[in-house]
Parts: sequence; C-alpha cells; structure tokens
Amino acid sequence: MKVSHAWLQTYFKDILPTPEKLGELLNAHAFELEGLEKVGSDTMLDLKVLPDRSHYALCHKGIAREASVIAKLPLKAPIKAEIELDKAISQVAVIVKDAKLCPRYMARRVSNVFVTQSPAWLSERLTTIGARSINTVVDATNYVMFDVGQPLHAFDADKVEGDIVVRLANPGEKIVVLDGREIELKETDLLITDSVGPLAIAGVKGGKRAEVTNATKNIIIESANFNPTSVRKTSTRVNLRNDSSKRFENEITSALCADAMNQVTALILELSKGAKAGSVTDIYPNPAKQWTVNVSVSYVSSMVGMPVSLAEAKDILERQGCEVSVSGDVISVTPPLDRLDMIIPEDIGDEIARIKGYGELVGVQTPAISPAAIDKTYYCAERVKNVLIPLGFSEVLLYALVPKGAFEVAYPLASDKSALREKLSAKLSQSLVENGRNADLLGLETIRLCEIGKVFPKTGEKTSLCIGVLQVKKKKGVTSESVLKETVSALEAALGIKVSDKIEIGAFGAVIETDFEMIVKALSEKTPTQNVADLKFVPLSHDKKYVPFSHYPFITRDIALFVPATVLEGEVAAALRAAASKAAGTLLVKGPDLFDAFSKDGKTSFAFRMIFQSFEKTLSDDEVNAFMQLVYSDAKGRGWEVR
Amino acid sequence: MKEEAKGHLHPITSVIREMVSVFDTMGFSVAQGPELETEFHNFDALNVPPDHPARDMQDTFWIKTKPGEAKKVLRTHTSSVQVRFMESVAKDPKAFKIVVPGKVYRNEATDATHEAQFHQFEGLYVNKSVSMAELKGTLEKFFKDFLGTDTKIRFRSSYFGFVEPGVEVDIWYKNRWLEVCGAGLVHPHVIKSAGLDPKTWKGFAFGMGVDRLVLMRYGVDDVRHLYSGDLRLINQF
Repeated sequence: MKVSHAWLQTYFKDILPTPEKLGELLNAHAFELEGLEKVGSDTMLDLKVLPDRSHYALCHKGIAREASVIAKLPLKAPIKAEIELDKAISQVAVIVKDAKLCPRYMARRVSNVFVTQSPAWLSERLTTIGARSINTVVDATNYVMFDVGQPLHAFDADKVEGDIVVRLANPGEKIVVLDGREIELKETDLLITDSVGPLAIAGVKGGKRAEVTNATKNIIIESANFNPTSVRKTSTRVNLRNDSSKRFENEITSALCADAMNQVTALILELSKGAKAGSVTDIYPNPAKQWTVNVSVSYVSSMVGMPVSLAEAKDILERQGCEVSVSGDVISVTPPLDRLDMIIPEDIGDEIARIKGYGELVGVQTPAISPAAIDKTYYCAERVKNVLIPLGFSEVLLYALVPKGAFEVAYPLASDKSALREKLSAKLSQSLVENGRNADLLGLETIRLCEIGKVFPKTGEKTSLCIGVLQVKKKKGVTSESVLKETVSALEAALGIKVSDKIEIGAFGAVIETDFEMIVKALSEKTPTQNVADLKFVPLSHDKKYVPFSHYPFITRDIALFVPATVLEGEVAAALRAAASKAAGTLLVKGPDLFDAFSKDGKTSFAFRMIFQSFEKTLSDDEVNAFMQLVYSDAKGRGWEVR
Repeated sequence: MKEEAKGHLHPITSVIREMVSVFDTMGFSVAQGPELETEFHNFDALNVPPDHPARDMQDTFWIKTKPGEAKKVLRTHTSSVQVRFMESVAKDPKAFKIVVPGKVYRNEATDATHEAQFHQFEGLYVNKSVSMAELKGTLEKFFKDFLGTDTKIRFRSSYFGFVEPGVEVDIWYKNRWLEVCGAGLVHPHVIKSAGLDPKTWKGFAFGMGVDRLVLMRYGVDDVRHLYSGDLRLINQF
C-alpha cells in the first residue's frame, strides 16, 4: 500500500514525524516498510499491508490510525460533510438478488456534473501514490477509496436503462469492460445489470457501456459491499485483479459504504460546481453488528511473556478505537467495525504486544522436557553420509522437478519442471558426466557422487539412495563399476546391513539406486537408540568463503622437464608458478600440480599440469600457447630441459 | 595429481547439521514429513483457507489429480509437518519440541536469489503455556550460537495464517538488519485442526530459509548453483 505523507498529515493537528521516522515506527509495530520515495514536495511510503490488516489498512485512514496509536498523536475528530439534497432528482431503483454475495448496495444519482481534468491538489495526491489521474469523477471515486478503503464506482446515468439489478450472470452472458476486453461470464460471477444487460462485474471492473466520459452529464454513484470469495474467484478467473478487487477479497466492513458515499458525493459536488445530488438508495438487510472479545490480562501477559497491566492494555486498545470495559482481570473489547482481524483473544494479545513493542521483550529459555525421538530417516541418512563422505563421495542435491514423471505439475512455469522425479539416478548420472568434464579442474581422477532424497514413482513418495561413480582417468584394473562395488561393500560393512547389488552401467559410469526405507528399517533394528550426539556432526568453519567459478571452458597444459638431481620438486613448482603467473596473471586457475616424477642418469623428470581459464571469455589455444612459451623460456633460462 | 581422499557434504546439509546440533542442546528433536502434501496439511489446517488472500503469499505447485481425488501440492513450507506431528501425538498429548529441516517448493520464476526448490528449517514447541519471550529466547540462543555471540535479533509485527501473534525476525548481521525468519505463537485454529485442545495446548513456531543462510554466511553468489550438482561449488565446502 502506497501512502502519501502529506495525505496522512491531514488526519492530524500535530506535526507527524518525518517520513523516515514514521516509516521506522510503522515498520517495527505494524507494516514492513518496503520503500520510501520523494515525489515533489511529498514523500511516498510503501507499506506491506498483509491480509490480516487489509480489512482496515489499505487506505490512508487506516494507516493514519496506526500512526496515531504508535506515535501517540491524537487524530482530528472526523467532520461529516453536509450534503444538500435535491428532492427533484429521482432515487435509483435497486434490486439485490443475493444478499450473501452483496450484503449492501448504495446508489445515488448526481445530476449536472461537469467531467473534466482534476485540480492539481487531487491529481498530485493520486500521482504520489502511483495512481493515474483520469477525470474529476473517476479521480473522486479513487481518492475516496485510497482515503477510507471503500471501492466505489460511477456509471453514466443516461446510459443506464431501468432498475439496477445485482445478480449472478446468465449462461452465455458477456461484458465489454473499461479496457475494451470482452469477457465471457460464468454463472458464478456477480454482476451489476440494468434492463439491457451487464453494467459491471461486481467489485471487479466497470463495463464500457455506461463508462463516465467527458461528455457525461449525470451519474450514478455506487458504494457497495461484495462477498470476498466471490470477488476473488471472479477476478482471478478473468485476470482482472486491481485496487477494487483487492479490497473486497480481503473483506471490508459493510458499515463503510455510507461514509464513503457521503464523502465521494461531497467531493464530486465540490469539483463540479452546479451539480446536484439525489437521495441515497441503501439496500442493507443485515447491518453489520459489533462484537465483543473477552480476554484476561493475565492470559495476555503469559502469551507475551512480560507483564502487561490492565491500564496499559486498556489504553492501547482504546487508542485503536475499541470500546473496553473491565471486570476484574478480564477486559471486554468491542473493536471498531472495520477491525475484522480482532476476533479471538489471541488477536487482542497480538494488538497489545505489537503496540507495546517487542523491543522491550526479554528472551527466556523454554523449560526442559523429555525429548521426542529423532526421525529415523533423518538419522539413518546422516549415518550413511558419514560413511560415504570419507570414501571420497560428494553429496549432491539435484532438482526434484523434471520434464516427465508419474506426478505432473498442474501449471508448470517451465517445461523442464513439469513433473516430479521418479528416481534419483537419471539426474545423478547426468551430473557424473558434467563433473567428469571438470575432473582436471577439480583435481579428481574419479567422480564420486551420492544423494539421498525423495522420489515420486506411481506408487507414491518415498526416500531413495543413489550412489554413482565415474572413473575419468584410465587405470589398470579400475573401472567405475569396480569402485562402486568396493564402495557398496564398504558401506555394508560399516553399517552391518545389506544395501544393494543392482548396478547400472553406461557412458556416465556406474550408479546404484536403492529404496532407502529398507535401509532405515534394517539400520534402526541394529541401532534402536538414535540421537544427534552419536552422529558426531562437525560444523564447517564459519570463516570459509566461497570462491565463484567461471562458466567458460578451461584449457589444460602439461609441462615435463629434466632438472639436476639436486633440484627438488618444490623449487620447480615455485619457478613454474611464478613464470605462469607472470605470463597469464589470474588466468592460471589451477596448478602447477605434479602428476609424474622419475629419476634417470642423475637427472629428475617432473611433469606438472596447469589449468587456464577466464571469467570473461573462452580462452583460445593460441593465447594459452603464448603463456606456455614464456614458461618454457623461463625454465630453459634456469638450465632446465623441457621435454 | 594427488587423489583427494575425502568427499564433501553439500553445504545445505552442513548448515542443517549445525542448526540441528544447536537446537539439540535446547531439547529439540528432528521430525520429518512428506514433500507431496495434501491441501489440508499445507494450507487448510494451517489456517489458510481456500480462496483466501493469504494463499497469494506463496506460489504453489499444484499436482494434477483425477476428478474426485483430494488436491495435492508440493509443500510450500515445512509448516505442514507442524500439523502432522501434532496429529501424531493427539491421542496421548504431551509437551514436545521439534525441528523440521526439509525441502520445499515454490512455483515462481527463478533467479540468483530465487529457486523453485529450496530448504526450510521449521521449529515447533508445544506445551501448556508458551510465550513470545520463550520464542525470542530460543531464537536468540540459536542465532548467537550459529552466527556469533554479538548477534542481535529483533521482532517485527507480521502475519502468517498459522500464527497469532506473528512476527518477522530480523538479525543484525554485517551492519544491517536482515529478515531471516517468520515466527509466532501457533494459532488456536491450527492446534484444533491437528486434534489438540487449543484451550489446553499452546505453542510457538518458527521457520527460516536454509539456502539464504548458506548464501549469507559463505557468500555463494547464485542460489541455483546449490542444486546443479556442480562439484566446483560443493567441493569447496
């Protein structure tokens, strides 16, 4: 909700705190401050009004009341504008077919209006809060909505034929709305109609047929209350969610219609000299009734966890406009009609706590109670990881949303996220291959991955374990499969249970996927007492800093040289690093790493690997060759023989 | 090249382990629940009724169902486990403290700070008398252990259907307030939906995003890297 600081000021005799200070106060006690923006001489505060406070705070009046309570500044007494009625103007005939969907409908005819551009003060108010100024009549209805929270609508009275009937749409009925779109209506959509057909979608959007234009002379003003669910369903379905529908779907009190009607009429008469107002039609079979919430102050104190006095509670609630009576420890609270969020004792506790402020609240510990059992699946999963990690396995958490599966997403945002995975191995195999390409960079000869996560086959959700190996470097007698088999044996030995022997082999390496619930069952039989302490969690260092990696390809270069036997590995590595860094700067991302060494004829051969990569582009072979030339000449200069 | 001897836990797992350890010292046990949830456990029982504006606070992955079948969602929060755990003790109610680390889903456009799947860490304490001061004390202890003894927290009034009062919890981290956690006293409607008597049983609950804590503490620049299986990230931890 965007509010204007100057507009809020009109509610107070005293000077309001500065926009920054006011924003801070509201942020702490009522609404998150999402933005603050200077607009001309005014300041706009963007406040996040959540559904519980949307009944009363999607308007300046509601925010002003919060500001008054929090900043302890009195509100000016409201002045009700006197409207001189013209008896010659006929009342609007209104028929409401369903009082549940339309608890109240007020309508009034105003004649002789002059529709034109709004005066500066009005268009500025609207502009400050990001609304568009259209014409005097439309601006007046919007202004009053943003002021008191009641959506209003005006029809061109000369285009309305016969009585106004509030009813559900007939089969096949259509309406062209103000933006020109034709909308097909459903029998659950509530409409404002006349003898010709639909005039507006109730609470959602006006129709084109009775639109107020600069040629309009006579209008009918609507101030009504519509059912929140009905407005929400229709506005969502026809994709017309706006300031009006938002207020109705959050539920506003039907009591609000009268004040808003009075205020908007007065404003239109002021903006359109010579205009005359007729008397109001008010279809209101079940007027809103006040309610009372009883709560003991001792309960409020125990909820908050700090002492709240009777006087303090009473003062806070009265400043919110509640009527409060006291009987012993119990306060009976009658909230203002628009406070539809104050229904149960806990709501009263919330009001008191937030206004008193959480800043003073001193944290205390909960009492010790006998602990609940740790979830078996969680315990066993961490046990298994504790075995796999020391064996060289890295844990991945892959996407559970995939292109195809037994459970499909109803409205996927992306086609590759349209179903739930049925198994882990598909993505894990892919991950083996992708990581295999980076084996040099990672300094790995074998990629070892594991994941424990939920899968969703036809039979339903279950937990699965997947272990995968890709042997990147060729080694005699070592294959992806052999490494995986050894791993499974080691895991089975460590846990003392059978895991699985169903290995899947392919270009991706070797993977095994097994029902983790069987492991949980077997392991829990062996370890009936399970607790966190036995898992011996070791925290990661807090000082660890992640180093971003480049998404461009890297280039690997090996260098082998003969050096005198007296020259040690460290000296060679340091010389190569210095030369390569001098040539390539930060493009040398890994190495020199020794990968081979032998002695022959009093000389030593060392082979090192270096990796080059840029954060900005794909390096060319030529660029890297040029770096290597400089490294070679440096080595030669030291009398070393480059092989 | 020297073969690396040891593998690496995913940083999300490491951070969850650390969180579990801190809460373990305060007597909280780990509980879990399904990711494919009923509409009842994810929304209705949590006091977020159908066609209520509170549903807009989360973009939901609805799962296609056959006509007549109960509606299912990918859970949008670990709060669904609150209801499941309370249901499990409803026959023989007693006080308990649980934490629920787990994967959750939101159907929204992804970017460097938003991902369709992420991890939450939920806490729930139920007893015959429970206060906001206890909630504050518990979270203060957690953040001081987790981030350092000079960490400060503050409560700001907020709204989540399943708590009343509801607050946002900010932490003072690297010279600014960061919103990291939603919390409050369990709404009586939630306690009732789960089969406990709200006159007798009270509770506090909190929930925070684990990914956010990983990003914040280790300076990971893109949340999407966490789920790509890329060892260039994982093996740094």
